[in-house]
Amino acid sequence: MEYTFSALISVIVVLVADRLSGIRLAGRLTFWISLGVMYLFMIPVNGYLTARPIVLYASEHQLGLRILTMPVEDFFFGFSAMTTTLLFYEYFKKKQAGQ
Amino acid sequence: MKTEYLLVLAAMLSVPLSVSFHRKLRLYRNWRALVGSIACSTMLFGIWDIIAAKRGHWWFNEEYVLGPTLAGLPVEEWLFFIVLGFVTVFTFEAVNRLSRRT
Repeated sequence: MEYTFSALISVIVVLVADRLSGIRLAGRLTFWISLGVMYLFMIPVNGYLTARPIVLYASEHQLGLRILTMPVEDFFFGFSAMTTTLLFYEYFKKKQAGQ
Repeated sequence: MKTEYLLVLAAMLSVPLSVSFHRKLRLYRNWRALVGSIACSTMLFGIWDIIAAKRGHWWFNEEYVLGPTLAGLPVEEWLFFIVLGFVTVFTFEAVNRLSRRT
């Protein structure tokens, strides 16, 4: 279950970072809409990667729950990866504007 | 086909990259923040990926990757984070732009 736990912990860490940094993506509707759009993109891309399969998973490290062919953990991993990118993006943009 | 993972990434990047130059978006204006954020998240999630692959959480089908690796991961996997970062920022800025409606 290592993948399950690390994915869940990453979501919590990212949400805490979002709050503490003051960037507060979680409070913006455009952030959630963007994530929704990205999850739609994820279906063909990650769907292909996991269906072919180009990426294979060890069953003992995940719940075994799949959405289509994608392990649910991938959605949490994806949330963290995308949100982290946007947190850095907002941080750098603010820094640039402030200079 | 060894190029398959690479082709998936090319498909994933194609439309967002082309549209990113649209005059109402011009994502390259914020290229410093774009490059910086992609670099940081690629590093962080690359480290996660290296550890996860080492611990056997997942692995890659040799039939669909070119072969060269970086820190134990196929180069395509590193490119994946770069492409994902770009598409994420693109989507976010496109949604922000559309929500302003000006």
